Amino acid sequence: MVREPTAVRWLLRIVVCAYVFLLVLWPVSLVVAHTFENGLASLQETLADPEVQNALLLTAQVAGIAVVINLVFGVTTSILLVRYEFPGKRALSAMIDVPLSVSPVVVGLALVLVYNGQDGWLGRAAESAGYYVIYDTPGMIMATCFVALPLVIREVVPVLTEVGDDQEQAARSLGANGPQTFWRITLPSIKWAVVYGVVLSLARSLGEYGAVRVVSGNITGETQTATLVVQEKYLDFAQDTAYATSFLLATASVLCIVVVSLLRPKESST
Amino acid sequence: MSIDITGVNKLFGDFVALEDVNVSIPTGQLTALLGPSGGGKSTLLRIIAGLDTADTGTISIEGTDATKLPPQKRNVGFVFQHYAVFKHMTVAKNVAFGLEIRKKSKKEIAHRVDELLKLVHLSQFAHRLPSQLSGGQRQRMALARALAVEPTVLLLDEPFGALDAKVRKELREWLRRLHDEVNVTTVFVTHDQEEALEVADEIVVINDGRVEQIGSPDELYDEPANDFVMGFLGEVTSLNGNLIRPHDVDVTTAPTLAGAVQGEISRMLRIGFEVRVTVLTDDGQEVQVTMTRTHARALGLEEGQHVWLTAATGATTVPTMAAV
Repeated sequence: MVREPTAVRWLLRIVVCAYVFLLVLWPVSLVVAHTFENGLASLQETLADPEVQNALLLTAQVAGIAVVINLVFGVTTSILLVRYEFPGKRALSAMIDVPLSVSPVVVGLALVLVYNGQDGWLGRAAESAGYYVIYDTPGMIMATCFVALPLVIREVVPVLTEVGDDQEQAARSLGANGPQTFWRITLPSIKWAVVYGVVLSLARSLGEYGAVRVVSGNITGETQTATLVVQEKYLDFAQDTAYATSFLLATASVLCIVVVSLLRPKESST
Repeated sequence: MSIDITGVNKLFGDFVALEDVNVSIPTGQLTALLGPSGGGKSTLLRIIAGLDTADTGTISIEGTDATKLPPQKRNVGFVFQHYAVFKHMTVAKNVAFGLEIRKKSKKEIAHRVDELLKLVHLSQFAHRLPSQLSGGQRQRMALARALAVEPTVLLLDEPFGALDAKVRKELREWLRRLHDEVNVTTVFVTHDQEEALEVADEIVVINDGRVEQIGSPDELYDEPANDFVMGFLGEVTSLNGNLIRPHDVDVTTAPTLAGAVQGEISRMLRIGFEVRVTVLTDDGQEVQVTMTRTHARALGLEEGQHVWLTAATGATTVPTMAAV
């Protein structure tokens, strides 16, 4: 490695640290500071607010279900993409990246177009059968699934490619059928990638705002998730509650990051 | 016959991997599929195992038609060039895998794993992970894993190809002894003719997707069916329009025999006990001759000398084809 002169190294360090501080650390720490301005009072008050309780519960529910769906779908799709050849494979692979590049608001609008009860061509059928998608939990789960869709797949695909199919073939020749090979060989070898993907999707799902905002209708106490509550409380001058809820969301995300960083060294040692 | 391969064809795109292959592999023997890289021998082995499927043709193992059977129903043991160890399992767990799939009792599995690890000299490594083993040890573990399920046939795809020369030589001797002990019908793929000649009971020479010849090592070496087999099994040189092994060329310093080819020694290279002599014949061809140092000295050979070359009595020769 080429060693830069000492002055340059220090300059680079200062620039990077200042950048991260101004952009991430300082603003986030202000949220924490505001939350605890009056000790634990504002946090307790927020947690006692039924609107917030409802929103946190809904967020947990929507994010939880979306993560499970993305886990199953993501692992299946990854195996399909890596282990099988089929026409349209490249198109599928490109499509999986769409949620990364399309604005969540657009995702929300698109879902509304397809699933709304008035003229959405799947929505009408669903509603006549008694299922409400838009302005209800199913739509919010769909929106969350959509935005977090690539996260598991993009973690698992490279690992699956790197591991190769030698071990799976060996398992087959030793008498294992498809499901046995998957549970005993494939899954253990991609375990950490799956966990990492799940944690990332969870963090992304908890923080989703745009798409959920459009499909949920933002009905207070009914289809309002934590991020939506933050926005509403802030606009209603209930800033203490907004900061406290933000703090809870940030804590969950930080926990996710901590979990990931605890998992990473294990991954490299196996 | 343990494995019968009839009329097998296989295309990859428009590349002909196998063309009308018919081979019968005898029970209880060690058979080598020998040929240059890309000749189709690995593909044939994978088709026997069910890891690839033939476009046409049938495979039968121990009398049952296996053509349509998935690999897990063929009861074959397969050993891969790059070991294909289960990285997240200990050595013992790797070996136990096939038995656990077959739902054997814990006691039976433990007993069998113990026995197999002893057989491949890995008992003391039972609780290690494969990443803590050397290449040779990993391959022995893979072999034990394949043998654990008591396969009707054991298939090895270039089993020693990824190992260094010394370990390779040790393992091939060990494989021969192991086979004599276990006696399971074994087929292994190799591109190393020395390996095939040393280890196998029978050799199937495969080139360009076709079977060139099937026979014992002696038959192949002494009576090669064509110039390809002759050339692939050992060094050859061309004398009088015939392929001949360099050590089968007799050199005399005076014209004693009729039909001898006259030439001049253009180069002599000594490697240990061996001397390699290049003779430029009067009609402009280069002939390679090898002999012992002692023999060369007895004849008093040196560069620039005139010599007469004949094929030794009983030497194997094959007419030169356009291909060589």
